[in-house]
Order: sequence, then structure tokens, then C-alpha cells
Amino acid sequence: MLETGIQLFINGISLGCAYALITLGFVLVINAIGAVNFAQGDLVMAGGFLSVVFAEFIIANNPHPITGVGLFILPLVLIGMACFGLLFSMVTYTPLKSCPPATVFISTIAAGLIIQHGINAGFGPEPQIGPALISSGTLAIGTLTLSKQQIAIIVSASFLILCVGFLMNKTQLGRQLRAAAQDPEVAETIGVNGAQCVALTFSIAIALAGAAGLLLSNQFFITTSDGGLFMLKAYIAVTLGGWGRLDGAVIAAIAIGLFEVIVATLVSYILAEALLFVALLLILLFRPSGLFAEAIQRRT
Amino acid sequence: MIRLLQVLTILINITLFPVWLKADESYIPILVPVTGFLSLEGTAQRNGAIQALDKAPINLNIKYEVSDTATSPEVAVTALHRALSRGQPAAIAAPIFGTQMLAMLPIAKRASVALITVSGTAKLTELNNPFIFRFFPGDSVVKVAHARYIHEVLGAKRPALLYQTTAYGQSGYSHLSRILKENGTPLVFEEALAPSVKDMLPALTKLKASNPDVILLHLHSTPTALVIRQARNSGIELPIVAGSAMHQPSTARLLKADQLRGVCAETAASPISELNNEVIKFTTEYKKRFATAPDAFALAQYDGMNMVIAALKSGAKTAIEVRNWLATNTFKGLAMSYKSDGKGNMAHDATIVCYDGKTRIPKIIQRYLNVDGVF
Repeated sequence: MLETGIQLFINGISLGCAYALITLGFVLVINAIGAVNFAQGDLVMAGGFLSVVFAEFIIANNPHPITGVGLFILPLVLIGMACFGLLFSMVTYTPLKSCPPATVFISTIAAGLIIQHGINAGFGPEPQIGPALISSGTLAIGTLTLSKQQIAIIVSASFLILCVGFLMNKTQLGRQLRAAAQDPEVAETIGVNGAQCVALTFSIAIALAGAAGLLLSNQFFITTSDGGLFMLKAYIAVTLGGWGRLDGAVIAAIAIGLFEVIVATLVSYILAEALLFVALLLILLFRPSGLFAEAIQRRT
Repeated sequence: MIRLLQVLTILINITLFPVWLKADESYIPILVPVTGFLSLEGTAQRNGAIQALDKAPINLNIKYEVSDTATSPEVAVTALHRALSRGQPAAIAAPIFGTQMLAMLPIAKRASVALITVSGTAKLTELNNPFIFRFFPGDSVVKVAHARYIHEVLGAKRPALLYQTTAYGQSGYSHLSRILKENGTPLVFEEALAPSVKDMLPALTKLKASNPDVILLHLHSTPTALVIRQARNSGIELPIVAGSAMHQPSTARLLKADQLRGVCAETAASPISELNNEVIKFTTEYKKRFATAPDAFALAQYDGMNMVIAALKSGAKTAIEVRNWLATNTFKGLAMSYKSDGKGNMAHDATIVCYDGKTRIPKIIQRYLNVDGVF
């Protein structure tokens, strides 16, 4: 019983950690441009498919059987998706930066659909399985038997979340990104290149989406229509955690993962989903800025 | 500006969508979901229909075009209107998505054109619409086979069911739970899962606590694979009898062969498992052309379009003559023999396939013939 309880807890945390990576990228873009990137879910899916491509290439070109190539592929996916992020910002944001935020989020919806249908046309509609992060198997701690794969997901996601926290709070680049997000005009007067900062933010956000895609694609498979689901979870996490709060978004995302697993175990999945939306409505009604205070506001 | 847009729209329509239909040609639009959450099944439908129509005799002069109906009834209805605007189709290959079919049925009735579908939604053939022809057995057929197999072959007494919250899942659940209850083996556990559910351990934990002797699944492709993998990884080695999604090669591909040991599925057919030469020929051609293995949906749509071709060959000239031929004749297809029950249900047989744990190709274990609603 205890073993099952701990396994369920780890499942919830690992799912939440993957959601946190998606949400983190989502918030970074909101802070940088004041608009929602509605393609974030489709970019997670794209990251999953990219990891499938890398895994097939590595396995096909290695005469010895390899299990758990995910850890080797993770940096490649991060770099590939970061480059795609630069292109994405050039196409969906740069030409429209002087337009109202609504124009940008419509362009991201269009980009998401193009990504989804492009991958569907290229790969076909079949669900795919991504590479395992490490070799499958279990880890025995006393009488407990834990899934190595899920522990690897938690460790990898936590490492990436800490890296983003370090980058944003402890480095000069992070300060520049935050300055450009908070007040682009004032930031430019002190030598911060706002356009570069926005492009870099998109790049980081989409790299995180790609990493989440890799982590989720082995554990839960990946299909071209999965983007909407990931987007929905990120949106709820951002609303609960507070628009603009990186830490709030991460905490909310992990809480959602845990909440889903616990309520689904104790009662049912349907109730878990219903309660999640009730919580969202209550937050919107009584605390629209989220559970944590809003860090920034758009200038009027 | 508005005028310019109107002119541009007309020009685009003329350029991209020319009315190329000639008087002696038979026009068969293929309206299926090739994008969205049913793209796997919709693509199989499209492939099956194309494979049949491309092999039709040249003298029939059949022209076809494929339109994506995506995931909403509005898109499907627009595609249908556009197809009808090109001229009178002989028949239409229609989407597997029941919600779209419900929206298309009244329009097809007004246009007097038969819809050839593999949709399993029971309601479609209960509306007294004479223009629906379903070439895939509905739940009143396959769920009887599902229940009979676990009862007669596995001897199970304590079945537990996981099903989808969608219309597809609800339909399967209502048939299966009723049949099992009537036969003295009611479900000991049941839970509905949304297609978005990723972690199946909570459901499996509760299911295991109910002490079942067989697990029944009525889920879409990815959730079916997720449940089976998580059950086997959690040490649950009970027999699993799944819905038709499990017979699809794309579902089996997500699992290791040993995880499939003790897993069976109900389906109309399993082209990759058949030893019949005609089906082997169909499967080989399909793989060569579409670079993927066919499933029962592809084969059923192939059979459906071949029955339309048979109607045209027999002399049916108009859409209403094709419809009347479909309603009154028996057609021997590759999967089974098809005959309308008066409501448009053409398929009345079901098959149980099982995996042996060594390969991902299932073996045909049982065939249930003419089992409409009868246990």
C-alpha cells in the first residue's frame, strides 16, 4: 500500500515537473511580449517528434543496441528547439511587434496549427514513442521499488527549472531579459537590446517546450493532436500561479500534476478534472492575479 | 477592399477547385478526418477508399477527391456542401466521426446521396435515414463478441472495465455493461477516462483493489497502449480484452511484444493477421502504397467503396440507384459479407484477435457471425 502510494506520488511529481517546463516557457514569453504564445503546446509536441527523429537516427547508426538514449538527446533537442525558437519569434512576433497583443497571439495560434499539420503531413497520424531518458527498470530502496524513468524525469526537469531560475536571477543576461520584459523603452536607454532579448526569450521558452516534449514522449507517447492538452494545462498553471510569476507557475504546475493523480486515485479522473476547472474559476473570480502576487504589469 | 476580396475568393475557387466533372463521369468525394484526434482512423479510411477507387474499371470513369473534415461538424458540413456543389456524387465516403455524421445526414438525405462510413456511433442507423450505410460493425455486434469471448473462452466472472468519456466510449460502455449484467457477470469495477488522461496508475490501482479476473478496455489507441504498458509495468498480469483500437498496428507498435502477452481485442477484421490470399494481396499493396500497415477501418472502407463500384458496374447510373442497390444486395467483401439490415447496418460479424507475447502481429482466435445484439 505504502509502495503504491509513493509510486503514485512520484507519478504526480514527474507529470507536474513536465507541466512546469511547459508553463515556465509560457510565462517567459508572456513577460517578454505581454502576449500569450498559444503555440506552446504544439511546440511541446514538436519537441517530442524531434526527439523521436534523433533517437531513430542514433539507434539506426549504432551497431550496438542502445537503451535510454534520451539523456544524450536532451541537449540536442534543447539546441534544436532553441534555434527554432529564434525562427519562430522572427516569423510570429517581429513583424507584428507594433501591433496589439491580440494580433501576436493570433499569429501564434496560426503558427501552432501550421506546426501541427506540418508534422501530421510529415510523420503521419500514428502515435509515436520517444526515447527513454535512461534504461528502463526499477530502483530498490529498502522495500520500495521505484521507476528509474520517472526519477530521471524529475531530476532532469528540476535541473532545467533551476538553470532557468539561475539564468534569470543570477546572471547579467537574466537581468537584461527581465529589464527588457518589465520596461523595454527604459531598458533600451541603458543599452539593452529589446529585440534580441525577446528573440532570446522565445528561444529559451521553446527549448523548454522541446525538453518537456522529450520527457513526456516516452512516458505517455506523443501524437500530433496533443498540443491542445499541454497548452490547457500550462494556461491553468499560469492562472493559478499568477500571471508573470515564474516560481508561482512552477509550483502551480507541480501542484496540478499531484492534484490530478491524488484525486483520480481517491475518487475519479472526471472529478479531478472538474475540480481543477472549479479551482480555476474560483481563482479568476476572487483572485484574478493568481495565488501569488503578480510580479509585473503591462504599462498603460 | 471588400470587392477585391470577393473577386480574389472567386478566382481562388476557380483556380484551385475547378468543376472538372463531365457528364459521363461518376463522382465519389472522400470526406474524412485526416487531421485532428481522429486522423489515424480517418487516414485509414482515406487510404482504403483510394485503394478501392483506383482499381475500379476504367469504363466506370470514376473521379474522386479527398477533403479533410478535421474535428468539427461545421468543417464536415462545409466539405459536404462543396462536394455537392460540383455535381451529383454517386456516393460519398463519409467520416468515421459520429458527431460529424449526425450533422451530415440530413444534408445527404436532401441531396439523395448515400454516405459510406465506418463510424460506430449507434445513433446513426437509428434515425430512419435511408442514406447511411455503415460497413463496420456497431457496438451491438462487437460488444456481444467481446462479452461472449470473456464469458465462453476465458470463463471470467469478475470483469473490470475502463472506457473513454467520449461518445465512442459511452456507447461501448452501455452495450458491454448491459450484456454482462444480463449474463450474470456484472462489472466489478468501471471508470471513464477522458482522452487527455496520461497517468493510468490511479485507475489501475483502484481496478486492482476490486479483485477482477479480466480487464476490459474500450479506449482510443494511445490510452489503450498506456493502460496496457502501465498494467504490465505494475505487475498486473490479468488477461486484457480491449476494444478495436488494440488491433491497430500503430497501437501495438507502442508496446513491447512481451507486454502484449495475454492481450486480445475485438474488431471487424485484422488485415495483417489474415491468411486469405485476397486479404494478403490487399495488405501488401496497401503497405507498398501508403508505407504503413492497414487496419480494420481501412479494409472496411475499401469494402464499402467496392460495393459502390459493384453497384455502378451492375448498371446503377444515379445516386438514388446506387443507394437502392446498396440497400437491397449482398456483397462479399474481403473482411466479411455485407447486407443491410434495413437501417443501413451492413456489417454483422466480429472477430477476436490475440497477441502471443512474441510478435506484435495478432492471431485471429474467434469469429462471431451474425451476432447483432444476441448473446
